[in-house]
Amino acid sequence: MSSRVLQFRPETSLPLIQEVMERSGQNLLACYQCRRCAAGCPVGEETGVTPDRLIRMIIFGEREEALNNILVWKCVACYTCGVRCPNNIQTARITETLKQMAKRDHIEPLLPKVAAFHDAFLKSTSHFGRVNEIEFMGLYSMHEVRNEIKQGGGWKAVADKIKTKAKLGISMIKKKRMHIRLEKTRKLHEIKRLFNKARDKAGN
Amino acid sequence: MQIAYYPGCSLHASSELYDRQCKIVLRHLGIELKEIEDWNCCGATSASKTDDFLAVALPARNLGIADSTGLPEMFIPCSSCYNRMMESQKILSEDSELKDKINMELSKKVEGKVKILSILDILVSKTHSGEIAEKTVKKLEGLKPACYYGCLLTRFSRDMQVSDNIENPQGMETVCKAIGAEPVDWSYKTDCCGASAAINDTDTSLFLMSKIIRDAVARGATCFVTTCPMCQMNLDMYQNLVCERYGVKKNLPVFFITELLGIAMGLSPQELMISSHFVNAIGILKDWN
Repeated sequence: MSSRVLQFRPETSLPLIQEVMERSGQNLLACYQCRRCAAGCPVGEETGVTPDRLIRMIIFGEREEALNNILVWKCVACYTCGVRCPNNIQTARITETLKQMAKRDHIEPLLPKVAAFHDAFLKSTSHFGRVNEIEFMGLYSMHEVRNEIKQGGGWKAVADKIKTKAKLGISMIKKKRMHIRLEKTRKLHEIKRLFNKARDKAGN
Repeated sequence: MQIAYYPGCSLHASSELYDRQCKIVLRHLGIELKEIEDWNCCGATSASKTDDFLAVALPARNLGIADSTGLPEMFIPCSSCYNRMMESQKILSEDSELKDKINMELSKKVEGKVKILSILDILVSKTHSGEIAEKTVKKLEGLKPACYYGCLLTRFSRDMQVSDNIENPQGMETVCKAIGAEPVDWSYKTDCCGASAAINDTDTSLFLMSKIIRDAVARGATCFVTTCPMCQMNLDMYQNLVCERYGVKKNLPVFFITELLGIAMGLSPQELMISSHFVNAIGILKDWN
């Protein structure tokens, strides 16, 4: 993935740079490719794409490649790239931005499990105001099962997934690291209002 | 002295032990934690990765509740919650339009006055004041912890005032030395363990942890010590798997800083719920029990 030569696309370059800069609040044009971020990126070794490459991609106007990029989904938001950047560019803010832009453009997430994890986490927050592991893991596992069926993995694959998760859950309960009780925020209507407002904002 | 307290979801669930330890240990140091009422989830990495508005608004509701208590300081033990609340407070102090928009939905409005404290903010100051040394009844001599800070205690996605060195923080070492432990010098103290990817991208997380565990073992550490419930859970629960996959021969217990302090103060592993660890953590403590 990293070996492909980037192409400068003047027609998409400026609008893409502007949009990413505005949404992320990061001055991409200050990047002079010193690659300190690349040296510190914990997932760079695995992805082959490092923060500097991603910035370059955006500047070149490679919209599709930038929105559909493995680093966007593998980024663990450790913020190492940002604190080491001599020009104060937080690439983690850029991967967050690209993820949101990809969602808006209905681009299938490159790593559906990562997207499903964050969706399940926020859904759980919106239901009770607090995250309850059992509900959250249930929501996430349901997505995994659906995905497995969709990909034609068959029932055995589904059963294996459920078995692994259940084993983990049981060992957590044994160690008193998972509980059956339900934690809840009383003024849930305030949480719902914040979620509604977020939806309105994302829509415009 | 009373301090407002935001436990966050994990301290009311998977890391209940940390909630209990924070309360006991800080009580010994003369601090009473007053949990803020009706708090909600901070949104953690999931909100910050997917929704800019919720990433600020969810922590903001808790900040409003904290402001309404009138207490000047709020303690947040979880690094992820701490990071999100600090950022939200900073963003709202600079963007009054957004603050008004969020406050419109809240019964307790954000004013921005509460000072947020991490566990090391408290413990380091109690070390400098001599109170920790004073409460220590058992020196943990011979224990060689690798102090693991992880990401979110010292690194933010915005310019923030950080109370420790970003690349080589020393707060945990300062506290450990005060109770007689001998922290090792090592290279992975602020590297990411991949906790937010543990479930959805397990291979990545295991790979990141393998480097951390390998270095700690190579430096002669006898245990980890951490302040973050996400890091603790990840390094503890998956350690067997990491060591098996990457051929690491030794397992290291992963302590919360409150556990080492508690033992040094003469508390028992039972009171501190140390049996809730995955890698056996009781054995190594028997010399000081």
